[in-house]
Amino acid sequence: MNPDAVEENQEEGNILVWLTGLAFLAAMIAIFIYVPTERTEGVIQRIMYFHVPSAWLSFFAFFVVFICSILFLWKKEREWDIYAQASAEIGVIFCSLVLVTGPIWARPIWGAWWVWDARLTSTLILWIIYVAYLMLRTQCDAGSMRARYAAVLGIVGFLNIPFIHFSVLWWRTFHPQPKVITNEGIGKGMDPTMLATLGVSLCAFTLLYFLLMGVRVRQENLKDEIDRLKKEKLYSS
Amino acid sequence: MNLFLNQILAIVWKDFVTELKTRELFSAMFIFALLVILIFIFSVNLSVVKASEVGPGVLWVAFLFSGTIGLNRSFMLEQENGCLMGLMLVPADRTAIYFGKLISNFIFLSIMELFILPLFMIFFNIDILEHLLPLLIVIFLGTLGFCALGTLLSSLASNLKTREIMLPILLYPLLIPIIIAVVRMTGQILNGEPLSEMMNWIGLTASFDIIYIGVSIMTIDHILEE
Repeated sequence: MNPDAVEENQEEGNILVWLTGLAFLAAMIAIFIYVPTERTEGVIQRIMYFHVPSAWLSFFAFFVVFICSILFLWKKEREWDIYAQASAEIGVIFCSLVLVTGPIWARPIWGAWWVWDARLTSTLILWIIYVAYLMLRTQCDAGSMRARYAAVLGIVGFLNIPFIHFSVLWWRTFHPQPKVITNEGIGKGMDPTMLATLGVSLCAFTLLYFLLMGVRVRQENLKDEIDRLKKEKLYSS
Repeated sequence: MNLFLNQILAIVWKDFVTELKTRELFSAMFIFALLVILIFIFSVNLSVVKASEVGPGVLWVAFLFSGTIGLNRSFMLEQENGCLMGLMLVPADRTAIYFGKLISNFIFLSIMELFILPLFMIFFNIDILEHLLPLLIVIFLGTLGFCALGTLLSSLASNLKTREIMLPILLYPLLIPIIIAVVRMTGQILNGEPLSEMMNWIGLTASFDIIYIGVSIMTIDHILEE
């Protein structure tokens, strides 16, 4: 990498940092000041503005893992492996957030931390699949084998999602039905202010995803660079 | 096509000869499945719960656990003395290795299941003979799905540092949909419902089998590559 490109990357990164910061500031104001408290559920309902974006983000991240895994097996280029790994790590973090915020909300509303509802169960299974994916990565030495194996698991794991969805749906379900996209059309099931707050929060989380991806990918690239330099300097003399 | 089938048959035959000589795998799988059923019988109070309600779950957990022993063996045996390298040097398609292993895993597991079923019938006092045909269809679909995904992941796990540990960790979460499906179907069949009542579950299991065999054909080249 030449120095100019590094600087340019830095500048882009800085803009993204500012954008993400502003978006989160806006989201916090919207969540804690602007949006009215929900009538029946009370103040605890505000956790939804973290819960839903985290869920969206983790599913998006796992989808990126899937796409990057396919691209890696097709092109065999190291960068797709880096993208897949970074995305899986971010996805697992936000999937954990979903699993933490969910019970906090469920305890006062449902009267139980956890129920074996379809969506809860499928999120938990998804979390385990991608934790196993990250474990697989620690089990192999860095190199082509690790990348190939992880890519295969990234594909197999994502293809499992429809099966998990239908099997646990037919098994049982009582999660709140989706409110944003309902049978009546988009955004009819919710108050407009709530919808706006959720929208801002979604934007903030999505920006955060790209910010974290950038940092993680840069870190992996630097690691490769260090390895390369080490080999060059240590073994050449 | 004929050549491809011959290659597959050669691998299946090799696995059978090895098993007949050593007799390690089958007895271990059978005793292990029996132990799992016994432990479950001790851990639930059968005078309180209905046997037909816990039975299907216990049966499939036994199949799943002992099947994992078989999967662990199937590629790890090849790691010894560099047999896997030998297999890969054979001028055969990698999918032939996959199908050979899939078929031998499937046959070993099916034979074990046929031995376990009568014992299950005796221990749980469930008469399975009147629903035998639908039950066998469900067991066929479930075992095929288990072996399709299991063979792929077993070939992958055999190259890892902690192979015996990683295979179940990778495999079980991915198997959950099919486990839910087969346990549900087995329960309904033992309650006397016809197969036509559970077409959605059959569709789910069958498409799971087809999709994962397809994915394995496409990705096995990338796993068995050196």
